[in-house]
Amino acid sequence: MHIPDGILPAPVCVAGYAIAGGMTWVALKQIKKTSDSQVEVPKAALMAAAFFVGSSLSLPVPPVSVHLVLNGLLGIVLGWYAWPAILIGLLLQAILLGHGGVTTLGVDAVMMGIPALLAGQLFQLRHYLGKSLPPKVSLGLFSFVAGAFGVGLSALVFFALVIFAIPSTLEQSTEKSFLTALMLGHIPLIFLEGVFAVLLCFFLLRVKPELLER
Amino acid sequence: MAVSLHADVYIPGQSAIHRWAARPKLLSLLGLMFAIAMVRHLVLLPWVFGVVISLYLWSQLPFTYLCRRLPYPGLFIVAMVGLLPWISGETVLWQGWIFSLRLEGIQMAALIAGRFLAILTTGFVLLGTTPFLTLLEAMRSLGIPTLLTDMTLLTYRYLFDVANQLATMRQAMELRGYGHSRQTLRRHWNWLAALFGSLLLRSYEQSQRVYSAMRLRGYGQQPPRALQRTAGAALTLPTILTLTAAVSVVICELSLASL
Repeated sequence: MHIPDGILPAPVCVAGYAIAGGMTWVALKQIKKTSDSQVEVPKAALMAAAFFVGSSLSLPVPPVSVHLVLNGLLGIVLGWYAWPAILIGLLLQAILLGHGGVTTLGVDAVMMGIPALLAGQLFQLRHYLGKSLPPKVSLGLFSFVAGAFGVGLSALVFFALVIFAIPSTLEQSTEKSFLTALMLGHIPLIFLEGVFAVLLCFFLLRVKPELLER
Repeated sequence: MAVSLHADVYIPGQSAIHRWAARPKLLSLLGLMFAIAMVRHLVLLPWVFGVVISLYLWSQLPFTYLCRRLPYPGLFIVAMVGLLPWISGETVLWQGWIFSLRLEGIQMAALIAGRFLAILTTGFVLLGTTPFLTLLEAMRSLGIPTLLTDMTLLTYRYLFDVANQLATMRQAMELRGYGHSRQTLRRHWNWLAALFGSLLLRSYEQSQRVYSAMRLRGYGQQPPRALQRTAGAALTLPTILTLTAAVSVVICELSLASL
């Protein structure tokens, strides 16, 4: 779910960089406020590498298999560090794999990073909204919602950008139906991301619960 | 693993583009890429390709480098613009059954594919002639926060280690029977979640060892050293020519748009 170079007009790319710059400033400020960045940098960097590599895993969904985006999970595990991790992951993907692009790096970062941060905040809501539920149910519910929300919002932004930013001569109603059809087609992927987030959170709860606590 | 396929992004050489200082090179080529992203008129594409091909030839990068790196991103662009000639536009050029090939759609697809190729090739010139660490140092000298550059350096350094770990773990999983016998989907997914979870754990534990080693070597004990001038002579000719080309593309585009 990356937008390659050449697809979007230059003003959109520049706007993407401007928003990404602003978000980087906010994220770094939050990081400095909430944690000792010297201790956390190696952790965030290696976890970012693990997510980068892990996104190559394909999940069997007969008769096909799908690659996961994992941005919601990044938000769950890394919190505010998810933003620099995604920015760096996208830069490395553009450089090493040619996946995404240099001019669209800002747009791609906004598309993947803001949903990841929101997913991380959603996951934290379990401490307030999930108090009345049994701990395991609360963890499962909020990890599903966060995992699914992360990729769902990214997919919505991706399709909206691709459809509305490409100056085609499609009618507005046709564009809207395309957007709806594409989103409906991605509901299974959104559901899968949610389920995978639940499975991973339960695994981490069993073996290293501190990774889920921030 | 796809990550290891393109580990050799940088191709050493002695061309003027190789010797061009990293900071002006980064800024000039980024400027050119954004100028190309501004192009909306097909008539400008031959000029853009002329500039990009000249840069590529000047960099003396082998043609095989382009051929090796182009197919993977190329597939994405084909998938993304392949529909346009059939759904976008009003002037029908050919009609058969329920399909109609439209002129405006073809023009839009050609424009997007052309911009994509030109920007990607410019990116290859930048990455193929500049070592990644030099590029990172140039970014830092341009004011990118230290936290970001440190994280990028560490992620890049350990990316291949983590990829190797994942390959080893997958092999171990297969030796224990994963994928060889009929298993339920739920079991498959549980295995994959455990595999990914274990990878995260190993990375987390490794990060603690890495941090200890970094502390022992003085990380965080002293302010970051002043940056050395980036490697490479500050050749003004490539900077002037690239920026002139970028500005000419922007001026032509704006002139055509105002017609």
